[in-house]
Amino acid sequence: MIGVISYLVFFTTVASILGIAVLGLNLQWGNTGLFNGGVVASFGAGAYGTLMLGGPAQDGHLGGFGLFYPLALLGGMVAAGVLAWIVGKLTLRLRHDYLAIATFGVAVAFENVMRNATSITGGAQGIRGFERPLRDVLGDGFTYNAVFLAGVLVVLLLVYVFLERLTVSPFGRLLRAIREDETAARSLGKSPDRIRLISFVTGSVIIGLAGGLYGTFYAFVSPQDVLPILTFQIWAMLIVGGAGNTRGALAGAFLIWGAWTFSGWALSRFAPVEAQLYTGSIQFVLIGMVIVGMLLWRPQGLFPERLIVSQPGRNREKTQVEGFT
Amino acid sequence: MKTLLTVAAFAAGVSALSTGAQAQDCTTKIGATLPTSVDWGRPIAEVAQFAVDQVNEAGGAGGCQIEMVLRDTQVDPKVGVDAAKALVDLEGVNVLLGAVSSGVSMPILSSVTVPGGVMQMSCCSSSTAFTKLSEEGKTDGLWFRTFATTAVQSAMGAKVAADKGYGSVAILYKNDDWGQDMARLIAADFAAAGIKVTSSVAVNDGQPSYRAEVTKALGGEPEALYLALYPNEGTSAVREWLSLGGTQNMILANSLKSDEFRDNVGLQYLGNALGTDTASPRVASADAFKAAYVEKFGSEPNGPGLANSFDAAMIALLAMEAVGKDASGKDIAAAVAKVTDPDGTPVTADVAGFKKASETLAGGGTVKYQGATGDVRFDANGDVSAPAVVWKFTDSGVDEVEYLSLGEVDAFIASLKK
Repeated sequence: MIGVISYLVFFTTVASILGIAVLGLNLQWGNTGLFNGGVVASFGAGAYGTLMLGGPAQDGHLGGFGLFYPLALLGGMVAAGVLAWIVGKLTLRLRHDYLAIATFGVAVAFENVMRNATSITGGAQGIRGFERPLRDVLGDGFTYNAVFLAGVLVVLLLVYVFLERLTVSPFGRLLRAIREDETAARSLGKSPDRIRLISFVTGSVIIGLAGGLYGTFYAFVSPQDVLPILTFQIWAMLIVGGAGNTRGALAGAFLIWGAWTFSGWALSRFAPVEAQLYTGSIQFVLIGMVIVGMLLWRPQGLFPERLIVSQPGRNREKTQVEGFT
Repeated sequence: MKTLLTVAAFAAGVSALSTGAQAQDCTTKIGATLPTSVDWGRPIAEVAQFAVDQVNEAGGAGGCQIEMVLRDTQVDPKVGVDAAKALVDLEGVNVLLGAVSSGVSMPILSSVTVPGGVMQMSCCSSSTAFTKLSEEGKTDGLWFRTFATTAVQSAMGAKVAADKGYGSVAILYKNDDWGQDMARLIAADFAAAGIKVTSSVAVNDGQPSYRAEVTKALGGEPEALYLALYPNEGTSAVREWLSLGGTQNMILANSLKSDEFRDNVGLQYLGNALGTDTASPRVASADAFKAAYVEKFGSEPNGPGLANSFDAAMIALLAMEAVGKDASGKDIAAAVAKVTDPDGTPVTADVAGFKKASETLAGGGTVKYQGATGDVRFDANGDVSAPAVVWKFTDSGVDEVEYLSLGEVDAFIASLKK
């Protein structure tokens, strides 16, 4: 039983961290309509930034500043934000699939830089030896994981509340206006370029925060953590959960990550011995089918976007419109 | 929601079935996190299971039958760490075999096995980062690998080049942790042996063409080519290398010791290609492994990491046998020295060998395990050195050209360091 709880704590931690990243992407895609194909670059910038700033001194590569942990995490977020600002300045004039391709390219470039800039990032070996905060006090075992989970949940809650407030604020309405019709928004005297950039950077900072927590949790990051598969996973979570709905984004993170890990567990447990060797491949097929099925029968996601009437100074009114995109 | 409930109900039903079925004898679970969804990962898992089967045939380890619970890592650190955590927490394993990639093994080590006090034995992670981590005392003696550190492999590459009299060599290496380590070490070894490295070029996986990399390597007009690649990209790169007029003088790392590579490149182009590998010792156990493998799988054990995976599983199980039932991961890890003792009773890597080991251990003796990769002996950091072999491709597989005992390997490495 203790094992089950211990595993659930572990699972919830990873799912919550991924959930934070999905919330960041939801701000970009769900609310503003920015097709960010380079989620993993922000995620990686956060993870690498945090570990380099907060880790112990190491020979062979940059980093090891041993900063106070919250500062290191903040540094990781700043790194993600700066990267997003540069990328945003260069690419946000692009729309839809063009933006997706450009940001995807940035993410691949990011991974390659991390892999090859051995003197800065440790190369393919990655950054190791990070001391997780409060480890002296809490030890390494279950207590640590439980406290860490509590910390992650607090962060998740803060991000969630922030984004919920943002969505119902006039700024949230502006984001949706730009998403729906940029020309119309411009005609009302708004500056879509600036707003798109703000949304892109904010979303990326949130994704970077997730990356920082992820690196902290594993006390390790390597280029294998920033492969395009992560972008795909996070997108799958958002699409299944429901783009444009904060709650849906979170539910998607838990559901997809749950399906991803549960299918592996269930197959290893229940598949016949002869099939054990093929469960890895079967798992990929199952996950793919869930996503395809979702897109076919419920393209708006499990929790579709709610139509929100956001007006300052008055009580918020919400009505639900199924399939509003 | 309805489907979710159905799935849950189904899972509950199946779980009730499976608990009913395993009530007979005592069973100890060990975990394995290996990339079974990748083509070269599946045989590594197969051969580990093969070792487990043999131990079960010999009566199990620690008085119990062994069940290996296999999870796929998808070569994704998140997935691998989650699988390892599930194995430790949900299946209660004290021994974990894996992973293959160092980028997966490392987070498993730092966030699952070391905090959980579980022994981790990898067949194939070669990164020098593990040695450093162990030197810093952060592995708690729980980490082992049966993959000889990259240093043996690279020193042999330099020896081949020196023996053949190549004056200059170009290097193509896989752009991952293993390849980068290899490239760095082999360049240093070539320099120490007085051989000029004309260029050292990284090769990324999954590219349709490696023309740019190959052209760059050809630029320095090297007398020979050193390849630290895997069969897939190795095949493409060598094809382009030859078609652009590159030399057929090639030195291959053990990762290319594969029939697939030989068939896809063509044996007629590989006449001057010499490979290096850590070797089987001249004892019956290595032949027994080969023979048993051929009998079981119908082909020679030529894929990367197979002998290592077999030894990893065997040594882990021998250590479990040495400490007996219900031992903690730390106890099992501590017992590894008992079963790889150079002064112990030699045992072979098969059913009979395991039985003999059980008897010796039960009598309070120690055992020298002579495995598929040689007399495995771990140093303080859980690393192994090994005898080496130089090989070449033939019609039926690979043939040995030269064999170097552990002593000769160590002497040659020492001579390079001067």
